[in-house]
Amino acid sequence: MSGPVINASFVDAIALPRLVWLRPNLIGLAFPLMKLLPARFIVRKALEEGELRPGGLIAETTSGTFGLALAMVARLGGHPLTLVSDPAIDPPLQRRLEDLGATVHIVREPGPTGGFQQARLAVLEQVLAEHPGSFCPRQYSNPHNPGSYAPCAEQLAYAAGAIDCLIGTVGSGGSVCGISSYLRMIWPELTVIGVDTHRSVIFGQSDAGGGRLLRGLGNSLLPPNVDHAAFDLVHWVGAAEAFLATRRLHRDHALYMGPTSGAAYLVAEGWARENPDRLGAVIFPDEGYRYQDTVYDDAWLEAKGARLDALPQAPVEWDHPHDGDDPWAFFRWGRRSYAEVMHRPAASPEPVPA
Amino acid sequence: MQPTLRLGTRTAAPAPTMVATLFPPPTREFRVGHAEIHAHHGEIVQGMFYSSDGTVEHGLVTLPCTLYRTRVRFRPLRSGPLTVEPGDRSRAKAAARLTLDALGRTGWGGAIRIESNVPIQWGCGSSTTDVLATIRAVADAFGTVLEPAWIAGLAVAAETASDSLMYGPGRAVLFAQRRGRVLLDLGGPLPAVRVLGFNTEGEHGVETLTLPPVPYTAWEIEAYRAVLGLLRRAVEEQDPGLLGRVATASTLIMQRHRPKRHMPELLGLAKEAGALGVQVAHSGTVAGFLFAPGAGADARIERARDGLGRLGVAASWEFSIGAAAHPEDPS
Repeated sequence: MSGPVINASFVDAIALPRLVWLRPNLIGLAFPLMKLLPARFIVRKALEEGELRPGGLIAETTSGTFGLALAMVARLGGHPLTLVSDPAIDPPLQRRLEDLGATVHIVREPGPTGGFQQARLAVLEQVLAEHPGSFCPRQYSNPHNPGSYAPCAEQLAYAAGAIDCLIGTVGSGGSVCGISSYLRMIWPELTVIGVDTHRSVIFGQSDAGGGRLLRGLGNSLLPPNVDHAAFDLVHWVGAAEAFLATRRLHRDHALYMGPTSGAAYLVAEGWARENPDRLGAVIFPDEGYRYQDTVYDDAWLEAKGARLDALPQAPVEWDHPHDGDDPWAFFRWGRRSYAEVMHRPAASPEPVPA
Repeated sequence: MQPTLRLGTRTAAPAPTMVATLFPPPTREFRVGHAEIHAHHGEIVQGMFYSSDGTVEHGLVTLPCTLYRTRVRFRPLRSGPLTVEPGDRSRAKAAARLTLDALGRTGWGGAIRIESNVPIQWGCGSSTTDVLATIRAVADAFGTVLEPAWIAGLAVAAETASDSLMYGPGRAVLFAQRRGRVLLDLGGPLPAVRVLGFNTEGEHGVETLTLPPVPYTAWEIEAYRAVLGLLRRAVEEQDPGLLGRVATASTLIMQRHRPKRHMPELLGLAKEAGALGVQVAHSGTVAGFLFAPGAGADARIERARDGLGRLGVAASWEFSIGAAAHPEDPS
């Protein structure tokens, strides 16, 4: 932020996004690996608060970018790391994690309820119990996950002054809820748009009826870190639409990003077209290299039935988040709580697993 | 970086190494020294900030105010007591002693006379202006001018916390008030704004130097990053609107810790009157509405004045910051 500097570590060097104009009224926040921000901050705070000893074991369940970020932070900080994952982990990522010194524990069987996610949580609890003094970052419930995004809000405020709208995909509740909570201190009228995908429970859909081809956003469990009252609008984007938008982002702007970035780009482009006099910013959470053989491979898209020739022009408005299947839809969430929107009494919310 | 005060005594032996960084150097001759310094009107922002080495420090950005000022006259005595008038200004006396030592005049005395119209305990820097003007007057008596960083070190030594008035209005700084050092030079003056000031407690004030440090939450400490980002933008772009948002954000965070009377109504009134934001003395009782200078400002200020009257705030005053308000640094 203050001119050319030599960073203390590579994590520090790449933790913040590059800011790119995508349109005269839309800024892209292109993160090499967004989860470095929460991984770095959660570990720093755990050390400060005495939950993690210097050199102490860190254990977490993840098969995605949070695991990679943790592995980098743990390695540089001298902490052994155990990651509990499932067979869906891609082999190059597993090799990279192991090269960084992480122990990757693959759970082979899904749990009787809650699928692989529940089974992984069970194994994680076992690892933590077997290693007294070990620390689990718990990105879905640790408030230091959304808390970690202040440097990004600072960067955006310094570079752009103030923005009218923040658009990002929602998976753990960290980035969009965190950045917007800080930006609203200086810009209370900020519009926040969350991007989810079908059969994710985060904004009230059911996860019944098969898995989600689009990974990295959405969730089968409701993360406590999602602050539903932060969102003005929620969009649901299908896998094929997100994949094509990912390719568009690459072709239009040479931004080689992952599929969650595509989903966010589709929604952000739509918003920017509709609001030419307002300034938006859209979060792109990771790069495209992990998806070379999938999203960036037409044959793979064809085989998955996820190849599209054209993007939908506009989203369909839903009256309620209940199971619709329009490939691109939105709902006016209106900064309400989950219970307020789903018409359930606040006293008996959806069961939320630990 | 705060330079170490290494100027030793000229008479004592063995003398410490002399560091000839004072310009002009103190003269053998001495005279009656004079100094004058303007007060402030609380802060644009006060909170906790990351320093360049990653530690978190209490810091603030002062809102200078030319309505009030302190003048100090210092008559040195080669030997004899050090006296101050009015007699209750012990911090100014301590500052004079430290400054004499720093100038190599250990053992000297003299008479300090302070003349100030800065309201006491309103958070306008009454104690700090006494201290800063005294330090400058002592230096002036020996024909020298001290660097702001030296003055900051002496001021914090004399009264445990200071504000950044020694840097003058020409260059806004984020200042660590308990360490007496600059955390961030904002690279220019604050953008020009007009301020409608008032006291939320009528005529009353608070004892500011005994206030404990505010126990900011982890979230608030992080939130100040975004506030600082916007402040840097406000200064670089000389954008009064962004400065108003910075002030309001800091006011809202401080309201959780040291609430000011009528703040929700004051925020509502500021919006209704077309103010850019609301600033407060974070350790004090004054507050101010910030307005963009130029067309329509008079009408907006008048509307805010009327609204203050309806809230029972009878007295208000107006001043400006920016190039027009400061033809030259009062130092």
